[in-house]
Amino acid sequence: MRRAGWYLITGAVAGFAGVLGLHIGGTAAPAALGQPVRGETGTPPALAGGSAPGTTPPATPAGATGPARSAAGAVEPYGYGQLSVTVTVRGDRIVAVSVPVLRTVDPYSQQLAQQVIPMLRSEVLAAHSAQIHGVSGATYTSEAYAQSIQSALDKLHSR
Amino acid sequence: MGYESVVAPRSRQGRKRPRALPEPRRPRPALARAGLVAAGAGLGAVTALAITAETGAELRAPGGAATFLGSLTGLVGTYLALLMVLLVSRIPAIERVLGQDGLLRWHRRLAPWPISLLLAHALFITIGYAQAARAGLWHQVGVMLTRYPDVLIATVGLGIMAGIGVVSLRAIRRRLRRETWWLIHLYMYLALALSFAHVLALGPSFVGHPLTRIVWSVAWAGTAGLVLCYRFGLPVVRSMRHRLAVAEVRQEGPGVVSVICTGRNLDKLPITGGQFFFWRFLTRSMWWQAHPYTLSALPQPPYLRLTVKAVGDHSAAVARLRPGTRVAVEGPYGAFTKYAQQRPQALLVAAGIGVTALRSLLEDMPRNAAPVVLLRGTRPEDLVLHKEVADLVRYRRGRLHDLVGTREQVVLDERSLPRLVPDLHRRDIYVCGPESFVTTIVDLAARLGVPAEAVHHEAYAL
Repeated sequence: MRRAGWYLITGAVAGFAGVLGLHIGGTAAPAALGQPVRGETGTPPALAGGSAPGTTPPATPAGATGPARSAAGAVEPYGYGQLSVTVTVRGDRIVAVSVPVLRTVDPYSQQLAQQVIPMLRSEVLAAHSAQIHGVSGATYTSEAYAQSIQSALDKLHSR
Repeated sequence: MGYESVVAPRSRQGRKRPRALPEPRRPRPALARAGLVAAGAGLGAVTALAITAETGAELRAPGGAATFLGSLTGLVGTYLALLMVLLVSRIPAIERVLGQDGLLRWHRRLAPWPISLLLAHALFITIGYAQAARAGLWHQVGVMLTRYPDVLIATVGLGIMAGIGVVSLRAIRRRLRRETWWLIHLYMYLALALSFAHVLALGPSFVGHPLTRIVWSVAWAGTAGLVLCYRFGLPVVRSMRHRLAVAEVRQEGPGVVSVICTGRNLDKLPITGGQFFFWRFLTRSMWWQAHPYTLSALPQPPYLRLTVKAVGDHSAAVARLRPGTRVAVEGPYGAFTKYAQQRPQALLVAAGIGVTALRSLLEDMPRNAAPVVLLRGTRPEDLVLHKEVADLVRYRRGRLHDLVGTREQVVLDERSLPRLVPDLHRRDIYVCGPESFVTTIVDLAARLGVPAEAVHHEAYAL
């Protein structure tokens, strides 16, 4: 066929642009990750100083008034397992976060998740939302965590 | 009664076909062009999927670059494998434009890519995950095979693909019987089926992305459906509907026989002159092979005729077929038809048994087509179907040249061909015959300045 190459290239450019456009439109959603905050080695600086996360009882942040409401976020699957996060909100502030469901496909992911979840919890409490930066070296876990929190927040707002 | 090859002058029928024959379906180049755009779009989409699968942070993390390359090679390799399957699924609309031989050529050209890319995919992903987990490479292989969902069967599938790749290397393929190689490479269907699950379970573009999962699944299901429908289903339905059976085997020349078949509802079989079928004669020794033979005349319901030269086991066995043998067919296939013609007139060149396609083409031409026909053969008795061709050429107001003799006696080159055919620039060239002959004529036409789109060829290989 004459000019077969041109038809192929036109199609390729169109397909490429289409998927790219869809993806960019899609990531304007919550849990936007991608800004590298931690170092490349994956050693989280949060562990280096400060109190051991996960053991400090959450201090009630200023501005949190009214009855506490909780919701469980959706079970988010990610490449190495699934997790779901339960969020407790007072007023419009997140006051507590816990992970009732964590299933991983292999022991390394389990270990990683257990290390990373306390850090993610601190991030969420500091940011008071699901817009967190995540932890480098555990990006899929961080994304799933953020998405589950967002779905829990959506449930609370809709109530 | 028997079959008489009816070669009518068409004076009363004019340009219309006799009412007994169906209107064949025209090839639509626009459909093929749309197919090309779609194929390209898929490639672009799959590449974009790979690029958007990881964020910048993930890329910079340990193992990020290798995992990215693994995603890219996996997605593009699988896509190309699906394309290859589609190329040989014999979708009629595509086949009519590109022809079975054109599709096979692209299928063979693409072939090394999916296998190499998918092998690279396995390697890169393993390296990437090993780096992310800070584990050794071999340990990571063990982990992935035992603990990640569906990776073990996908690896079996990859092994089958690698095996097919090895067996298809020219050095090894030459040592195998053609049927053996072909049966081995059919296992590609199994290999692809085995590797489907792990993509949706583990691929970062798919986990948690319902739209991408749906599109991917639909693409696979669609490909499988097309293969089942057109590669397997349609031939079975046609064979059952038309119930072809051998009626007579006639000697046409030294080593050449015509097989006349009868069938029902042949007026519903859309055949254009020059097309062929894959023939599966249902005898104990031949039922498992399907070989391509061209129809040597347009159908005359209830008769179909093919003319075969004994050059191998199967074609020699055709001469010994007994009347009443049932026949299963796949087809009609082929783009070597009048629809390929672009210029007002045609030059038809055939050598040996290549005259079969030419004879059907001639019958399909309009009354005042005025073709020039060159028949090439070593001895006069090698020019089979000569009388029919001569009559048809006369009725179409054309010229016939018999070029009989050895290769030293008859020379077709840049001087002799224009002398035989002075108005070569106004003619499409159709050439049919053994592969070496076809290559010679095609090269000669190129040297004489005939554009490639005006040269149509059908080579008969063993």
